Amino acid sequence: MSQETGQPTVTLTIDGMTITVPKDTLVIEAARQAGVMIPHFCYHPKLAPDANCRMCFVEIEKMPRLQTSCSTKVAEGMVVRTTSPTVQQARKSVLEFILANHPLDCPVCDQGGRCDLQDFSHEYTPPVSRFTELKRVFPKEYFSALIETQMNRCVQCLRCVRYCDQVMDVKALAPQGRGTLTEIKSFGHHELDCEFCGGCVQICPVGAITSRLSMYEFRPWMLKRAETICGYCGDGCEITLQTKENRLIEVNSTLGGGRNNADLCARGFFGYHASTHPDRLTTPLVRKDGHLVEVTWEEALETVAAQVGWVKDEYGPEAIGGLISARCTNEDLYLFQKFMRLVLGTNHLDSSVRYGYMNAIEAFRRVQGLHRWTVTFDDVVAADTLMLIGTNVTETNPITGLKIKEAVKQRGARLITLESLKPVRGTISNIATLATHHLELSPDQFGIGVLGLIKAVFEQGLVDSALEQEAPEYVGALRTKIEAITWDRLLAHSTLTPSMFHAAVRTFEQGARSIVVVGQGVLRSPGGYATMVNIHDVLLLLGRLDRPGCGIAALAEENNEQGAIEMGAVPDLLPGALPVSDPEARRAVAASWGQEPPRTPGLTMMEMIERAKTGHLKALFVVGENPLGSLPPSAGVAEALDRVELLVCQELFLTETAQRAHVVLPACSYAEKDGTCINTEGHTQAVRKAIEPLGESRPDWEIFSALSVLLDSPMEYETAKDLTKEIRNMIPASRVLGPAPLPPRPDREVLRRYILGGYRDDLDGRLTPPPVTKTTGTMTLSFAQSLFHSGKFSTKAKGLLKIQSAGVANLNPQDAERLGVRTGDRIEIRNEGGSAITPVRAWERVPEGVVVFPEHFDQDLRQVMSVTVDPRTGVPYCKLARVSVEKV
Amino acid sequence: MAGSIFDHLQEEVQDIIGRYPVKRSALLPLLNLAQREEGYVSEEAMKAIAALLDLTPPQVYETVTFYTMFNLKPIGKFHVQVCKSLMCALVGSDDVIEWIREKLGIRVGQTTDDGLFTLSVVECLGSCATGPMMQINDDYYERLTKETVCRILDELKQQGDCPLKSGPFMVPEPTS
Ligand code: SF4
Ligand code: SF4
Ligand code: SF4
Ligand code: FES
Repeated sequence: MSQETGQPTVTLTIDGMTITVPKDTLVIEAARQAGVMIPHFCYHPKLAPDANCRMCFVEIEKMPRLQTSCSTKVAEGMVVRTTSPTVQQARKSVLEFILANHPLDCPVCDQGGRCDLQDFSHEYTPPVSRFTELKRVFPKEYFSALIETQMNRCVQCLRCVRYCDQVMDVKALAPQGRGTLTEIKSFGHHELDCEFCGGCVQICPVGAITSRLSMYEFRPWMLKRAETICGYCGDGCEITLQTKENRLIEVNSTLGGGRNNADLCARGFFGYHASTHPDRLTTPLVRKDGHLVEVTWEEALETVAAQVGWVKDEYGPEAIGGLISARCTNEDLYLFQKFMRLVLGTNHLDSSVRYGYMNAIEAFRRVQGLHRWTVTFDDVVAADTLMLIGTNVTETNPITGLKIKEAVKQRGARLITLESLKPVRGTISNIATLATHHLELSPDQFGIGVLGLIKAVFEQGLVDSALEQEAPEYVGALRTKIEAITWDRLLAHSTLTPSMFHAAVRTFEQGARSIVVVGQGVLRSPGGYATMVNIHDVLLLLGRLDRPGCGIAALAEENNEQGAIEMGAVPDLLPGALPVSDPEARRAVAASWGQEPPRTPGLTMMEMIERAKTGHLKALFVVGENPLGSLPPSAGVAEALDRVELLVCQELFLTETAQRAHVVLPACSYAEKDGTCINTEGHTQAVRKAIEPLGESRPDWEIFSALSVLLDSPMEYETAKDLTKEIRNMIPASRVLGPAPLPPRPDREVLRRYILGGYRDDLDGRLTPPPVTKTTGTMTLSFAQSLFHSGKFSTKAKGLLKIQSAGVANLNPQDAERLGVRTGDRIEIRNEGGSAITPVRAWERVPEGVVVFPEHFDQDLRQVMSVTVDPRTGVPYCKLARVSVEKV
Repeated sequence: MAGSIFDHLQEEVQDIIGRYPVKRSALLPLLNLAQREEGYVSEEAMKAIAALLDLTPPQVYETVTFYTMFNLKPIGKFHVQVCKSLMCALVGSDDVIEWIREKLGIRVGQTTDDGLFTLSVVECLGSCATGPMMQINDDYYERLTKETVCRILDELKQQGDCPLKSGPFMVPEPTS
């Protein structure tokens, strides 16, 4: 029994060393802990033991024959020998068999220098082989644009196949044929069609599966490494960016590292070239005679300083606004808001959290009195019941998806999904295929789905009795409201039945560790905020909101949305997510800044756009954000930008917005700077510089700092570290870098206020199903995120473009048949807003009546989207439209 | 699965799947069914089976390629499988293959232009006492000589049947 953990342990001897390890440890792992590396091919800590390669043989006293240490568990008093002559002889034989077929490819193999077979051969094989037969030769076949196979090199350990199945749940790889002639392939002679997570490339111990993106570019010892954080999604995976001569060569991930523990998705593994795309801006640009021309940094900064100074003097700080992308580091975000508030004197600043994540934060703040998840990825893995609402999770947050798959597949958690998916298995994850209860909803119906859950909770009599005692009025009010809504009304447009909701909530209620994961489907659809609050109601009613291991996990799409909140890069929150309106909070900030931030509440993104349209907002700073490219034309961003007198863009690329700027300042990407960012579950992690900034580009924070000097309120920092320090001093919760700060518990006081009256404010609105807008013959168009892209940034990554380079409208095969189209044909999508023509694909997983289109390629199609703004959170909704569809 | 080769076999398919506590176990019987229907296992059939059993097509392909008795390509109306295991080899299976080649002009793995005959070699068919022998579709032809081989092939071509067939006597009993 271990002293610290109380876990049962076992003591054994390995090569004469006595060690104590937890019970059930595998001998190979125990040896690793004792510092003894047992050579192996098929074993991998992430995979169930398969013991197929026989490389890991050891001698164990009192056991007949040699044992495979990868599949043998330790036992009390066991005596293991890993280097005895018998073991050595066995290793030799195994290697001799492998080398009987393995080609002498090392000089042309990308694995050379980090290949297990190479290393083991050096160590254990005799210099000559007794085999004189010909080696097996597989005909070379094209495998895929990104992943290369060289099956002559395969040692048939099946790690790739097992990873793709056990970890990814994709099952795109399969061993084909038998015996020596077994070959790893996908489906027959077809090109690989999968999630392109790169896992098989990373896990192959030899050079049989390699990346084409870095083919023949390097030898491992030529590469410089930087441990950093992937810049794409809110999961915040740790990656190792490997570089050569200031070029990005490849990405790896380390077992045991980061929140992802070596797993990645296509964006992280194959998407790294976006940073160094040839279109990168490398010099400052200033508009002269209507054209953007290259100038020096001095001239550009002085132009900005002079003009913004003039606007401030002429119209006051209220005429200035700023927008920043939540892809920036904490340091950038922090200094941005400090610059806006302190140097320019305005609270008119917002960030891309406004596109949806803000709905979650506002609901968290209102009901739970916090602005973070109360659970971590570890809680997700340990959950016994998970409910996913409005997210197929893999597309937006692939690693959160893996945690959910692990909970369900390996630990038997029950999964309830409310998602616009048909549970059809394919070689791209469909989380509904793992669900115990799947409630299929159209993408505009997640709000209705949540109302159905509330109704079902009452009908099944599952209301938490403690809550009923504490807040009878709250429970009563909800009951009355929800009883007034009939199932007929709720389920008018779906094939669901009340009993499916009943069963789902009963299952959910049985869980002791229950987590609700909420995605873009809720956060970015009309009523997103209200639905978020309603989800809180569901958990409150079931008594699951305030229990350890339970909670609501709202998924951040961009990598540092959580950071944007914590840094105060929104109009009404200061660093530490303290309200601007709170005098105490302002005083606390003043203690560090030497001056109070302005007290007048700032404008949200959409309000700034409106103000600019009417000519009241005169100057706009846009940092890595591209409202013109993200919002539909109907939002009037173009008109707004045309009217501002000064538009300053800090950008990597000349985006639609930057093209209209007066001054464009070249910023550098995450690969070129240091800093920190916070992932969706609230972990602060370090971003580290891998290459020198391209051209004259500079980190965003440095640009604010330089401008502040010219504007006579200097905020000077030597390095990003100084900023990190300032942030840590201001925000205690982010003091910890690396292991998470313990997730917060809901604030009891705030919770009480909510159930004792706070819920009433908007109850009528929240508990009313939206009016029915369906007209016959129309379909619901949904802009959704693709697994292979993230925003528009990834469309600069050549690797990802090889997987997906254009938008395709995905339809249910039955709809396709009805429209008379087949995959590859073209359709016209139209409504009162406009029309566009796009190719189609018939895809079984898309429900009938729905068109799913990847938002990354929405250029022409955005005209059919109109914008509505959430009355409470200011989130612009523009991802759903009713459209008619015709074959062209 | 609209338009799948199992459309007219719904009942049989459901019956097969219903026999097992785990859906995946129905994989081999369904592959057999597919081969019975089309003479080989087509990609369409594999996809259909994958969808029925909640597998991915690569997983079905894996199984198909493990078993040598599944054909991945269309085969002739008569599938001639010559036993080439030790016993038959000793009594002349090589000759049988040669006679067939002379008569039909095809080598092992090939199909005649008229689509009637495909020639394969297989492992022991359990008729060691009566070799050399071959199996054509479900029937055995034993103690082959050059004359009987020619006659069998001729009659199959002309009449679709040949009285020289002799079994198989063991099992399995035909199911119908
Ligand atoms: S999903 Fe694709 S890239 Fe990932 S392990 Fe499977 S086959 Fe390899
Ligand atoms: S391709 Fe690599 S990982 Fe897969 S079986 Fe072969 S050697 Fe193992
Ligand atoms: S995009 Fe998200 S899941 Fe993919 S590697 Fe980057 S952080 Fe991880
Ligand atoms: S590592 Fe143990 S058998 Fe392969």
